[in-house]
Amino acid sequence: MAELRRYFDEIQTGEEYESPGRTVTETDIVIFAGLSGDYNVLHTDAEFMKQSIFGERIAHGLLGLAIQAGLFTRATPAYATLAFVGLRWKFKGPIKIGDTIRLKAKVLAKKETEKPDRGLVTVQRMVVNQRDEVVQEGETDLIVERKP
Amino acid sequence: MSAVARSYFEDVTVEHVEETPALTLTEAHVSIYHGLTRELAPDPALVPDLLPLCFTPGLGWRVPKPPLEVLAFMGLDWQVLRQLRVGDTIHSRSRIASKRSMRDGGVVVEEREVIDQRGEVVQRGRFTYLVAKRSKENQA
Repeated sequence: MAELRRYFDEIQTGEEYESPGRTVTETDIVIFAGLSGDYNVLHTDAEFMKQSIFGERIAHGLLGLAIQAGLFTRATPAYATLAFVGLRWKFKGPIKIGDTIRLKAKVLAKKETEKPDRGLVTVQRMVVNQRDEVVQEGETDLIVERKP
Repeated sequence: MSAVARSYFEDVTVEHVEETPALTLTEAHVSIYHGLTRELAPDPALVPDLLPLCFTPGLGWRVPKPPLEVLAFMGLDWQVLRQLRVGDTIHSRSRIASKRSMRDGGVVVEEREVIDQRGEVVQRGRFTYLVAKRSKENQA
C-alpha cells in the first residue's frame, strides 16, 4: 500500500488541522502510570485528590502530550518527518477522567536548514476539551524531508 | 493528615543535582506506548521521541526521597538531540535551575537531561512546576 507522506515542499504555512476527539479514561491513566512509573498522587490517589483543587484524579500532563501526538496522526496525512527536534509547551488546565480532548493544529512557520534535503516545520498545537477549554498548548519543531 | 513524608517548596534547593537509576527501553514499552497514544511508528525498533521524556518523572521517583508536593505541572521546553532505539538504556539527570515564591506555593524550574548508556545526552529541557508550600499543619 502506497503510504501518503507529505514533503516539506507540500506543507503550507497557515494550514490548519483538527483531530477527532478522544475520551481520556481511568484506564489510560493507570496504564500511563504503570508505563512511566509516575505514581504521583495527582494521578493515582482518588481519596487524596477529593481534597485537592481538582476534586478528583487528573491525567498526567505528559499523557495529554503523548495523546495529542497520536491525535496529530489522525488529523492530517503523515509528514515525511525525519526527526522531532523540540517543543515548547504549556499545561493550562487539568484533563480529568472522562474528558474528551481534541487537537487543533496550525503550521506556524517553515524554515530552510543547513541541509538541502530537509526543512524545519513549526506546528502550533492546542489541546481542547469537550467545553472547548484549552488544556494544553504549545509549539513543536519537526524536521521534514523535501521532495526527492 | 497522612503521616507520609513529603517535601515542599521550602525544601527545594537551587543547584541541587539528582541522578536517577537507569531503564532499558524495550519493545514492550514501545508497544504499550503505541497502543495508548496511537502515534504511528515508521520502524518498531525506534523509540517514539516523547517516550523517554515520559519516563523522566518516573525515573525521578526511583531516587529515595520524600516526594515533592507538586500542585501542577505548568510548562515544558524540550529538545530531542538523538533518536533512541529499543535496547538503549537511559537515565535522567536533573538540576534545580530556579525557584520563585508566590502567595500560594512557588514555581520551581528544573533542567533535565536524558542520558544513554554511552553517557551521551540524547534529550534535554526544562520542566516548570507549581509546588506547595509547607502549611502550618504540615510543619514538622
